[in-house]
Amino acid sequence: MPQRAAVKETFKSMSPSRFFYEYKELAGFSNPARALYQTVRELVENALDATDVHGIKPDIVVVIRRFGEARDKYTVAVLDNGIGIDPKHVPYAFAQVLYSSKYKLRQSRGRFGLGVKMAVLYAQMTTGEPVEVYTSPLGSKRIYYFKLKIDIEKNKPIVLGKGSWSKTNDWHGTLVKITIRGDWQRAGWRIKEYIKRTAIVTPYARIVLITPDGSIAIYPRVIEKVPPGPKEAKPHPHGVDIEMLKYLIKNSKAKTLREFLIESFQGVGRKTADKFLKEAGFDPNLDPHKLNDKMLEKLAAKLKEYKGFRSPSASALSPLGEEVIEAGLKAIFSPEFVTVVTRKPKAYEGHPFIVEVGIAYGGEIPPSSEPILLRYANKIPLLYDEKSDVAWKVVDPNNFDWKQYLVTFPAPLVVLTHICSTKIPYKGVGKESIADVSEIEHELKNAVREAARKLRAYILEKKREQETRRRLITFLKYMPEITRSLAVIAGDGKVSEEQLKEKLVECIVRKLGVPKEHVVKMISSYEVKIEE
Amino acid sequence: MTAEYIDIVDTQARKKALKVFREKFQKLIDQIMKGKPPVLLLPKRTLQNTIYDETRKLLLLGPEKLKRSFLDLHEAKKFMQTLLMTRIIYEALARDEYPTIRDLYYRGKHTIIFRDEKGKRHEENTWDEQRESDAVIRDIEVLTGLLREEMLILSKEKGKVVGNMRIRSGGDVIDLSRMGHGAYSIESTPDLIEFLDVDAEFVLVVEKDAVFQQLHRIGFWRKYKAILITSAGQPDRATRRFVRRLNEELGLPVYILTDADPYGWYIYSVFKIGSITLSYESERLATPAARFLGVSMSDIFGAKGKKPYLTEAERRNFIIKAKDADIKRAKELLAYKWFQTPKWKTEIDIFLKKKAKLEIEALAGKGLRFLAFKYIPEKIETGDWIE
Repeated sequence: MPQRAAVKETFKSMSPSRFFYEYKELAGFSNPARALYQTVRELVENALDATDVHGIKPDIVVVIRRFGEARDKYTVAVLDNGIGIDPKHVPYAFAQVLYSSKYKLRQSRGRFGLGVKMAVLYAQMTTGEPVEVYTSPLGSKRIYYFKLKIDIEKNKPIVLGKGSWSKTNDWHGTLVKITIRGDWQRAGWRIKEYIKRTAIVTPYARIVLITPDGSIAIYPRVIEKVPPGPKEAKPHPHGVDIEMLKYLIKNSKAKTLREFLIESFQGVGRKTADKFLKEAGFDPNLDPHKLNDKMLEKLAAKLKEYKGFRSPSASALSPLGEEVIEAGLKAIFSPEFVTVVTRKPKAYEGHPFIVEVGIAYGGEIPPSSEPILLRYANKIPLLYDEKSDVAWKVVDPNNFDWKQYLVTFPAPLVVLTHICSTKIPYKGVGKESIADVSEIEHELKNAVREAARKLRAYILEKKREQETRRRLITFLKYMPEITRSLAVIAGDGKVSEEQLKEKLVECIVRKLGVPKEHVVKMISSYEVKIEE
Repeated sequence: MTAEYIDIVDTQARKKALKVFREKFQKLIDQIMKGKPPVLLLPKRTLQNTIYDETRKLLLLGPEKLKRSFLDLHEAKKFMQTLLMTRIIYEALARDEYPTIRDLYYRGKHTIIFRDEKGKRHEENTWDEQRESDAVIRDIEVLTGLLREEMLILSKEKGKVVGNMRIRSGGDVIDLSRMGHGAYSIESTPDLIEFLDVDAEFVLVVEKDAVFQQLHRIGFWRKYKAILITSAGQPDRATRRFVRRLNEELGLPVYILTDADPYGWYIYSVFKIGSITLSYESERLATPAARFLGVSMSDIFGAKGKKPYLTEAERRNFIIKAKDADIKRAKELLAYKWFQTPKWKTEIDIFLKKKAKLEIEALAGKGLRFLAFKYIPEKIETGDWIE
């Protein structure tokens, strides 16, 4: 595999498996609670990547249960209806670090090809249990079974057992079981919250979570349409570093620099290539494979600096879309108002990104002293380190004037932010919060403002309606007393209560400027009784 | 109540009130039938809209009007309460009843129940406290120009009268000179009293009921041809109206005798000018010609060219030290126009200087005969009163 070759160069002195074994906290496996959460996350994200990315409506079951009698060992099993895995690749996909089908320039949930293997490594370290995989690729008539471990020193899979049998139904997808040391007591609420937040942005999925405490959470499918998956894209010259440049050259059959640029980068044509190379001081006919380290360094720097390239293409990005965010927020929060803003693609340092913001308000949202913030990056919920995330910086009532938009805390307000990019600027390896990149912050701010303006209009209209309703109720409730008194004083049926009522209703209609049918309808559903 | 027992005077009063109600509220009905939002226009009953009429020496309601509109969210309930109370009073008038303000409160107090379109039940009382219904009655008084007595609404009788005078009330002739040791209670509807014949030269109103009884038993009113009245404290409306009628219709001068303190002065002020909070009734209840006979500060301490009625020793025994509240009240009175005459200024100045007050009972303590046969007649004879 070409990817493997490239990566091996990066970790010469230590096997990648050994490296991550030593530095497990880097990948989010710092303690049993975090490890349990991380394992669920990796498996669920793989399950989603195997389904919706390929246009399949996800059907995912997550089961976490105690392993044997031990109080600190758990088996996590995740079943999906995805495209399955070619049995040839299964040992590498689960038991060789940095083997990944996702090491490409496209927005996807995982990126480092690390997650599930870290879980396997962690399982090996803490319980000694191998990973078990059942998979049936799309179109296959068989189900394949593997029992795997990792040879940590050699970074090679150890196949402990395998088998296959023919299918009796039309299931396709993957079931993975990993047994690790975990801490459900501490990780439980976060795992539940993670699944809930995942369900919010995948309303086209059916997700079931069965937990060791015996609870079952079912998130039904609320919309049928699966959003189109992201396409692969060539890298943008601004987003390239030396390592990547080396990797690209190695994989290129181009004979000249000009050819290489046109083939390997997006938005670079003959004219742009020549103009750039001239300005950068390179011979366009030079063989790229002959560049030395110094020249590579110079080329990488010039590529980053040059202003003449077209903006990065957003075709590789897959925003959630208005329909998905709206359906998700409605299904989980039952709010009275939802609005979604999807901004146009922008770029930072050569990486295209799109910001989406959804605001849900009122209804069954519990009022709280600050916005309930739901952060997502490439469709993954981010749960930890909220206050250090750029999204919090934007929606924080200390920075954002919510009052201007008629929201006064405590308020029933949910703000969902989604940033999708071919490269998310995470703070740290934990991938739980996004750094203060000014372009992203700016887009977030504009998106939140735009959504908040719509919310303001809604609140204003609602206030107006409430006021009208309050007045209407007041008038209607006192009316019988007034018409009765006047009818008595007029005496002897000179004017009836009904006549007076009719006229008063006309007055009220005119005064409030509401349609008469509305008032009449309200009166008919009203019941005013005078108890004496 | 059967018709034959009802006095014709009552019936006529009812007829008049009913007519006023019908006329006033027909306007409201007309407004509604023309499709206009119903609005009641009533004089404002506020201190700002209370005016002291210097020529008539009366507190009167000013020209400011209040628009009470049903279709104003903040006025809607008051509007409803006004109409509700109007109907209750109207029905009581029509049924020959004599409700008290407490009765009216209970008759109108009920719960409005309504269910909104979501089926939610809301409850609201028409009014909760008598304070609310009383305010509505006052609104109806200014709105119709009828005092509650004219609407045959009764209140507790407080005032009493004796004297050489015969009246007709409820069809009976009553001789106010033949009340024994008792007295005639001034009824809630003094306008329905007919004055038959009188043999009197002045009216003496005493604040204290006990002093009234003493003067009555010692034969004061017979000796001096007086109509003797007590308000038993703050005068009620009936007593004020009765005194006004004696002054206005019979031309009898009215003297008022109260304690020598700011509260006594204010009782006099209510008789003479009217009540500040209820200025709309003054026109019918106040007696601008009423005179403050005493007990005055100069009676106690003497003044330029006037010997005090009390000796140094008596003063020591009888006077009471004024409280802070008395001082405060006295200063408030100084702000009222009708207390800004030279004589009143002198009175209040002495009070503020001496910080002393005195009850009428103290003069009776000096000897009832002194009070009845020397102090009162001498002051009237020498014109030693304040106007």
